[in-house]
Order: sequence, then structure tokens, then C-alpha cells
Amino acid sequence: MKLDCYQRTFAHSSSSLTPIQLPAHLETHLWYVKPSEVKNESLLKQYLDILSPRERENVMQMRGEELRKSALLARTLVRTTIARYQINSQINPRSLKFRKNIHGKPEVDWQFSNDSLPPPLHFNISHTSSLVACGVTVDSQIGIDVEEKHRSIKHTVLSFARRYFSKHEIQFLASITDPQVQKLEFIKLWTLKEAYVKALGKGFSGAPFKTFTIRFKEDSIHQASEIVVDSFDEPTELTSNWQFSLLELANSHYAAICTEKHAASAEGKRNVPTKLTVWKTIPFVVDECVSGTDAVKTIYG
Amino acid sequence: MASFTASSVSFSCISFSKQNQVSNLRKASLPLSGKGFSSHKLPAFRFRVACAAKPETVTKVVEIVKKQLALPADRDVTGDSKFATLGADSLDTVEIVMGLEEEFGISVEEESAQSIATVQDAADLIEKLLEKN
Repeated sequence: MKLDCYQRTFAHSSSSLTPIQLPAHLETHLWYVKPSEVKNESLLKQYLDILSPRERENVMQMRGEELRKSALLARTLVRTTIARYQINSQINPRSLKFRKNIHGKPEVDWQFSNDSLPPPLHFNISHTSSLVACGVTVDSQIGIDVEEKHRSIKHTVLSFARRYFSKHEIQFLASITDPQVQKLEFIKLWTLKEAYVKALGKGFSGAPFKTFTIRFKEDSIHQASEIVVDSFDEPTELTSNWQFSLLELANSHYAAICTEKHAASAEGKRNVPTKLTVWKTIPFVVDECVSGTDAVKTIYG
Repeated sequence: MASFTASSVSFSCISFSKQNQVSNLRKASLPLSGKGFSSHKLPAFRFRVACAAKPETVTKVVEIVKKQLALPADRDVTGDSKFATLGADSLDTVEIVMGLEEEFGISVEEESAQSIATVQDAADLIEKLLEKN
């Protein structure tokens, strides 16, 4: 796989971010950080310093050091990631402002003068206590979700599915005889459904899980070729607007990415795959392009 | 996320004449915006103290939350505790809702589930749904 990103880049100084080009039209960038790899207290202080007062307050309200750290890293990752794209001029991560859309989905509140068009950058974050990720696209809504592969659930897979998933999905999970495989497939399905809802940006109740099915479309030789979503409420044209990728990150997490398809590829006979580039980062310290390495295994997409 | 206290919806613990009760408050999916009371001249703040869920309900919710999030038994969790600050992610939240449904024999709609931000919100919603039953 061709890698057109530097393998590993160390920051020039302790407070700089390596600038990067915005993703292209059909491209998605994914940045992630592992909290366990960030231990330096002064670095964490530096991160705290770039947050807004409200964000700092929210971080400090979290109950427990691990939770505080992942909350801190989530906001740090969003700010530093967006700042890298240096739209128009250098952006200080501290100066970014955010707002929520009508349904509560966070977006950048660009502080440009009225005659400048806001850049069409979209982002979405997801975090677990062990991994924090931020996806970025241009011109395309995006939703991502990450979960630990071996995350425990208190209910059985099937009781959970019967309560929240669609009939087709329940049948799919029920047909898996190996309980370990069933659990992994459940987690994958959960991340895909979450990513879709987050991409839609309408919140959990905007697209209740039971009202749509995510399934793997098989090609002519019965191999899973594509992840598709069928919605009971939305007509087919609208659900075919979304495309999915599912990855295994760092051997420990599943990451689902849902992005809007564009007119050109939606009309095309074959599904044009989005190019995905993945970086592992410790903001202000090191960025490592991990696409094509063992850290990123594409499951679908 | 809206986090109104249920004081704006559970009328049953206030003593005032039956004809003032708005019947559609019994629906679980009523938006918690307090719009239901524009016809009542009672100020919202008076409900806050009188309408909280029973302490036993709050205790049960705390128990379920602690179990779901694997919190130590001595961790301080109260009605004011927010699920998010306790570390509940979306999967935890739906499992907590399932746990509450099982424990109390209720059924929570997605819209209501989304409006739960604190332990108190959950307890108040449970009581409202129990009344409905």
C-alpha cells in the first residue's frame, strides 16, 4: 500500500504541531491517541492550557484520574487536529471555538470575518478510556465510534440485540454459534450503528437503533463487499448516501467510520472507496502515520 | 443534552385539584420543556423540592449504575451525579437503561432515554413511568 505520509514526525518544538493538508474530497483522516502513552505531567498541563475554561471545568468534573485524562485528551485531540489544517493562516488550537448544531452535534465555530467562507471541514470524535480518536473530512458529514474489542457487557449479546437492534441484525447475531465471535460481531455492529447515528448528527433518538439495519452486502461470489444501511423511515436514496469503513486499531479496538457519499460516487456503478489515512499521535510530541501497518487492519471498506 | 429535573413533569405529588392536571403528562415522551404548565400559574421552582423521586428509587438507580460502571462500592454517587462524569459512554447508558427497565418493569422510549443526564433524572423518569403503569 502506498504511503504518502511521513512514517514518523517529531515536533520541532514542544508547542508546535506539524501542519498538514486538508483531506481531499473523497478522503478521510483519522487521528488517534492512546492515553496510556501520555504520562508526562507537564505535557498534560500543556494540554489543559489549550482548552477553553468550560472544557477545563468539564474535564476536572470527571470522576477519576483515568476519566479525566481521556476527557482531556479528547478535547486536546480535537483542537490540535483541527489546528493542523491551518486554514487561511496559522490556527492556535487554543483559539478554536466550538458550537453545537440544532441537534447537539459539535462543530467548529469559525471566527472568520463575514466575507470569508467557513472551510468545509467536518470532524467527529469518539473515546474510550484506552483510545481517543478524531476523524476529519472535507465536504462530508462524518461519524466515528471506537470501542475496545473485548469490552464487557452486562447483558447477553442477544438480550441486548433484541432490545436495541433491528430484526435482521438480531438474526445475524443469533446465527453465530461461537459466543466469542458473536460478541466481537456485536461490538462491530454497535460501532457501525453508533457511527451512522453520529454522522447523521441527530442524536440517539434522531435515529433509534431499531429503525435501521446495518448489514454486509455480499458480492457475486458471496463475499462481504460493502457495509450498507437500510432504514425503515428513510427512502433508499437517502440511506445510500452513507458509506462505512470498519477497522481494527492497535489490535485492541474496533473503529467504525461513516461518511457521506458524494453525488459522483453515489451514481457510479461501483462503490468508490474513500481513501483513509490514519495517524497515531501524541500532540506536540510525535505523529506517526500508521496506515498500512499492523496498527490498522481494515475489516471492511 | 436537556437535563431538566423531573420536577417539571411529575404532578402527582403536589396536592391541587384534579381538574388542573394535564392528562398528556402521563405520556413518557412528553418533552421536558415545562410547556405543559403555561396554563398553570404555579411557578416552576416550587415544584423542585416537592417532586423528587423517592429516595429508595434513587438508591436502586445508584446500585444499578455502580454495577454497570464497575465502580467501587464506596464511590460517592448521588442523585446529582452525571452519567457522563461517572464515565458512562453510550453503550453503558443503554445498558443502564436496560437494567432499570428490568429492575422496575418499565419500558423507556429512546427520546426519554436521551434526556437522562443524572441519576436523579433516571429516578424521576422511573417513577413517572411507574405511575403510568
